[in-house]
Amino acid sequence: MAWTAKPSATQRIERRAEPYVTAALQAKWTQDILPKYATKHGALMPILHEIQHEHRFIPYQAMLEVAKFLEITPAAVLDTVTFYDEFTTEQLGQCVIGICQSIACEVCDHKKLLDHVRQRLDLEPRETTDDGKFTLLTMECLGSCDTAPVALFNDVLHEKLTIEKIDQLIDEAKAGNAAHGHA
Amino acid sequence: MKLSEPVLTKRIPTAPFGDPKQRHTVGFDEYVKTGGYQALEKALSMEPTAVVNTVKDAIVRGRGGAGFPAGLKWSFLAPIDGGRRYLAINCDEAEPGTFKDRLLCDFDPHQVLEGIAIACYACQLDTAYFFIRGEYHHQARVMQKAIEEAYAGGIFGKQGLLKGKSKFAVDCILHRSAGAYICGEETGLLEAIEGKRGWPRIKPPFPAVKGLFGRPTIVNNVETLAAAAHVVERGADWWKGIGTQSRHPGGMPSFGPKLMGVSGHVNRPGVYEAPLGVKLSELVNDYCGGMRNGKKFKGAIAGGVSMGVLGADQFDAPMDYDIGRDYQVLGLGTACPTVFDEDTDMVAVARNIARFFKNESCGQCTPCREGSGWMLKSLLRIERGDGTSADLDLLLEVAGSMGLTPGTTICGLADGNNWAVRTIVNKFRGEFEARVKPKFVPVYVTAGR
Ligand SMILES: Cc1cc2nc3c(=O)[nH]c(=O)nc-3n(C[C@H](O)[C@H](O)[C@H](O)COP(=O)(O)O)c2cc1C
Ligand code: SF4
Ligand code: FES
Repeated sequence: MAWTAKPSATQRIERRAEPYVTAALQAKWTQDILPKYATKHGALMPILHEIQHEHRFIPYQAMLEVAKFLEITPAAVLDTVTFYDEFTTEQLGQCVIGICQSIACEVCDHKKLLDHVRQRLDLEPRETTDDGKFTLLTMECLGSCDTAPVALFNDVLHEKLTIEKIDQLIDEAKAGNAAHGHA
Repeated sequence: MKLSEPVLTKRIPTAPFGDPKQRHTVGFDEYVKTGGYQALEKALSMEPTAVVNTVKDAIVRGRGGAGFPAGLKWSFLAPIDGGRRYLAINCDEAEPGTFKDRLLCDFDPHQVLEGIAIACYACQLDTAYFFIRGEYHHQARVMQKAIEEAYAGGIFGKQGLLKGKSKFAVDCILHRSAGAYICGEETGLLEAIEGKRGWPRIKPPFPAVKGLFGRPTIVNNVETLAAAAHVVERGADWWKGIGTQSRHPGGMPSFGPKLMGVSGHVNRPGVYEAPLGVKLSELVNDYCGGMRNGKKFKGAIAGGVSMGVLGADQFDAPMDYDIGRDYQVLGLGTACPTVFDEDTDMVAVARNIARFFKNESCGQCTPCREGSGWMLKSLLRIERGDGTSADLDLLLEVAGSMGLTPGTTICGLADGNNWAVRTIVNKFRGEFEARVKPKFVPVYVTAGR
């Protein structure tokens, strides 16, 4: 995760006219999040969670706006964004499939699942399908080792997975079934 | 070895006392109806220092991995100076193999909140951050709801603890992490709450003196706090009646019931509550219905991958805090063993664990950042069959050189990597040697004259 160098110095920032951090959001955060932390910097993670959830990534422009709102440097925001796996600087698919690859899942045959999804969606881990529907991720232990192998579909955990079950989940996600939560 | 009654799983049906199919999330009303928040009531009738002393007397060892006694930690707090003081509840639970805190969040969140309220009163901490890993989406929702219920029920909030029974007021805030194992390390966790990257801090100063936002802070595991509530309610002597003394003269005892999550090749994997000191073989055979498909036991992760593995001849190891000293592993950790049957490829196990640590190293310390990459590379080579016995030696050398114990790193993540890899290679050396090519040995031949 954390320590790979990112090309931040040469990064081109895509901009759009309307701000990500709107006046309404600022008012909401000022009321709901800022009072929970002793410093403004402390409010950064809950705010990033909201942005990631809304846009499925953290746009660079949003980082600049958040930095201004919290009165911290843009570098401090980038630092936090790039450290945590759940915050991404590239947009994820509508359905993020995170297959656990840690030890209990590996010894309970996670590889069959992973290979199946790779083939079916023609994806390698960390890639997103061209239509933006699916992102495949390999994840470390999801805290459900007793029901291995497991995978997250967005924010919903699916346990004791088989190829049939995961196929069904993918079919449902393709059909746009919202029952599988949001990224 | 069995408990006479469930303690932490009182409201979470678990074999042998109940049927897991009956489990449901216990809300505020049901919790109160079944005797909940009485421990808090009792605590509030005592002086704060008396509460600390009860937990100290009982020797409640931390359930987050290190086994440090909670009461002792609480007594290290800097004196009250009128400024803010914090409790940080560690629900990061990202150690592969570990899934016990999740059980408490899923089904009995108020048991945890009661422990939090008691710890806050005992240590006079005014703000509690419930730090939960990002991947626990469902658990974060359950805890958030329970916290709201607790505010509405007068546990937390301005009026003071337990509807103002004590004037001391506590705020409880849920903080979601975002996918970084290192934030389970107590100072990495504090950095994450401050909105920064989760880089562990150099200690001292310890959090009890200078922690969150520079203020005195106690960091405790979810299960530790839940256990502390029971100790306050039923007394230190009751707690000491469960578990076991140390096998070493003068050693610290292992008291109390413990949640143990068993995964891997057993018939009924899951979280069970057992007294500390229960044998791994009992846990597998009596609680989990034996090895899957009648296969033979080959080894097990002692308790979270950081602890290393127990070998085939260590099936009867007692699950208590002496396990490290007596069975060549790092320690009991979270007491959540992953069990392997005879068909398991231990080279693959080592590679899997090495990959985990390489991915999760925060990169601050060179031995951990670079060493974890080297170790993964040589294990991949060995697994492919391209390694030589020189790789094995290098592997052990690199592993042994990283961690707090050799004194080369800031935090214990590197020790976990060190112990995991060394114990697997040492206890299953034959399997590794069968996979590597022999080292090139020059042979000199003198031909004729
Ligand atoms: C790399 C690393 C990861 C850790 N992860 C966790 C964790 O997920 N949960 C936890 O409770 N403790 C974890 N710990 C232990 C904590 O640093 C700390 O000892 C513990 O939260 C203290 O609580 P306790 O005394 O109640 O056990 C971790 C330690 C290290 C070095
Ligand atoms: S030991 Fe590893 S994880 Fe811990 S601080 Fe150093 S680099 Fe980071
Ligand atoms: S190893 Fe996959 S959930 Fe723990």
